[in-house]
Amino acid sequence: MKKTGALTTTFLATFTMLLTACGGGNSGTNVGNTSSTQTANNTGSTTNSSGAIPIGIAFAQTSNVALLGQEQVAGARIAEKYFNDKGGINGTPIKLVFQDTSGDEAGAINAFQTLINKDKVVGIVGPTLSQQAFSADPVAERAKVPVLAASNTANKIPEIGDYVARVSAPVSVVAPNSIKAALKQNPNIKKVAVFFAQNDAFSKSETEIFQKTVKDQGLELVTVQKFQTSDTDFQSQATNAINLKPDLVIISGLAADGGNLVRQLRELGYKGLIVGGNGMNTSNIFPVCKALCDGVLIAQAYSPEHPGEINSTFRKAYTEQFKKEPPQFSAQAFAAVQVYVEALQAVDKKSKVAKLPLPQLRDELNKQILTGKYNTPLGEIAFTPVGEVVQKDFYVAQIKMDKDGSQGKFAFLK
Amino acid sequence: MTLALFLQQFLNGLSIGSVYAIFALGYTLVYSILGIINLAHGAVFTLGAYFTYALMGGTFGFNGLLANATLPIKLPFAIALILGSSLAGLVGVAMERIAFQPLRRKGSDPLLTVVSSLGVAVVIVNLIQYLVGAESYTFPADAYGSLPASINFGSAESPIPIRSVQIVIFAVSVVIVAILTYFINSTKYGKAMQAIAEDATTASLLGINTDGFIVLTFFISSFLAGLAGTLVASSVSIAGPYFGIAFGLRGLAVIVLGGLGSIPGAVLGGLVIGLVEAFVPGEYSGYKDAVAFAILFVMLLVRPQGLLGRRFIQKV
Repeated sequence: MKKTGALTTTFLATFTMLLTACGGGNSGTNVGNTSSTQTANNTGSTTNSSGAIPIGIAFAQTSNVALLGQEQVAGARIAEKYFNDKGGINGTPIKLVFQDTSGDEAGAINAFQTLINKDKVVGIVGPTLSQQAFSADPVAERAKVPVLAASNTANKIPEIGDYVARVSAPVSVVAPNSIKAALKQNPNIKKVAVFFAQNDAFSKSETEIFQKTVKDQGLELVTVQKFQTSDTDFQSQATNAINLKPDLVIISGLAADGGNLVRQLRELGYKGLIVGGNGMNTSNIFPVCKALCDGVLIAQAYSPEHPGEINSTFRKAYTEQFKKEPPQFSAQAFAAVQVYVEALQAVDKKSKVAKLPLPQLRDELNKQILTGKYNTPLGEIAFTPVGEVVQKDFYVAQIKMDKDGSQGKFAFLK
Repeated sequence: MTLALFLQQFLNGLSIGSVYAIFALGYTLVYSILGIINLAHGAVFTLGAYFTYALMGGTFGFNGLLANATLPIKLPFAIALILGSSLAGLVGVAMERIAFQPLRRKGSDPLLTVVSSLGVAVVIVNLIQYLVGAESYTFPADAYGSLPASINFGSAESPIPIRSVQIVIFAVSVVIVAILTYFINSTKYGKAMQAIAEDATTASLLGINTDGFIVLTFFISSFLAGLAGTLVASSVSIAGPYFGIAFGLRGLAVIVLGGLGSIPGAVLGGLVIGLVEAFVPGEYSGYKDAVAFAILFVMLLVRPQGLLGRRFIQKV
């Protein structure tokens, strides 16, 4: 019977559609056994056919995480042009090889495998989410390929392996600053409601820090509400929290879900302060909650106003191209590429990178990354032996929106 | 659960359920006429929201081909809603001409048409991302005029705030369902569509332009998808190119629950799924789809024809 047949196949096809659509545009198709392919990749030349040194960039260019990933791509591209204009690696240009990780773990693993085995990159910047890093970074670790995270701020990221480091300051260092700023603005805060995206490793990690800070500050945690990063309707959670009359709401989520939650909290009558987590630290939140974003406090690891020549150059290049201030995710992606460039320059001075066998270069590069100091748009950064970033400057910004909600900015608090 | 919270979630459920209903009506119409399910329906849902956003003078972000592009017009929400949904309807017509009609003419198996619609869905979603990036967009704050953000249905001591947009969505959905029901049951065109749904060959022999009515059906179906997309986006935001995928899944659950090809069934199914979802505790929000499909599964076991569907009788 044709109707029954059509119905059956419809459900099968729907699942295919979900897989196809959510899988993104990853050009890599290497889904084979990692251990068998990794030994094969450890040969070959250091430079690619164009004579440039390939650095892998694994960011989410599709899926709901693409909001963040596309900001990172923008920062990385600016870095590629900037450093190649300055002569690259002592005369040899770099070539960023982009692979889309999409928003899930499988996408990140595929991207990493393609970059390592097919594109033969010297190292990888990425992936976008901590959740993805916990799955994809071990792939690089087994292949002995350096990974530099540009936006993974969950706890225990550098501890994934010897070849994993990050330029993104951990949430445990950054997050408490925004709660302290909220208390400074309203010392009468007593009751706190916490929201977090339970399907995101970073948000789960961040909310623990937030909740600990709330307790450390002697505040009462009246409710913890969970949601998913894919949710758009938060009326149930918002209502539950508002009924408990909190003075402060703290949200750990991403731009789209976090922005929608802010909007629905405000529309349902919540008037107190709101603190957003690192996933909401992007101007992409502005078009979601518009005028209702106004007043949200977010701790930051980057300020466009940071003094320093390289930040001025980066800020100028970004604002000229995108007509807005650079967000943290772009700055961190720039910084990650910069670390690779400067580490490669240092390795090249000891022995020419173009002549080093790829496995040896990856190894030397990894050691060099961890020993250097880098003056980036984030300020001066270095690494601990484990690969944790050592950064001096942190900020708290408060979102200021125009009355009509069409434009907004992060106003940095003194 | 307090009475206030129950009432609040009940009204939330009615609101989202009513959108499910008009979205599912589009599925049902195409299924009635062609006996296939159009998997691009969710993508057209997304398109409708983008069209309305653009017609209201919305600016696209910096990631797509249309970075910072704005139309030189800024229409009020009501007009943009109708035009945006109409544009979605036209996309449905184009889709029918390109992806459905050629296969139908060749007498292809309905499965091939379903796969073809799947291809259209993937192309539309990727095209959206290519053109306008993956950013989220929200309609202007004054989209619903000077309507307050929420209305309190409780007392000062025990408030039951409901977002005004939810009430508007429910009202619009009720009106749309009423119009469509009248059109199908009481007009010459509606009756012709019913005749085609019953037996396309006989309807054609009786002088009904079946090809033309198939085009009309796709227009109405996609119009409804675009309308539902805009209404949902006005409540939350346009959450990127993948916005309609979850809706596409739930729409399937709705029409099977209500009864394939049944217009009252689509409405009832939409309201049931919406209400059930509203009462899924927030911390289990990730399991809303699972709940919807669990209901569907039980329904298929207990009453395969759905709540209001007709039992299929095969004559031998």
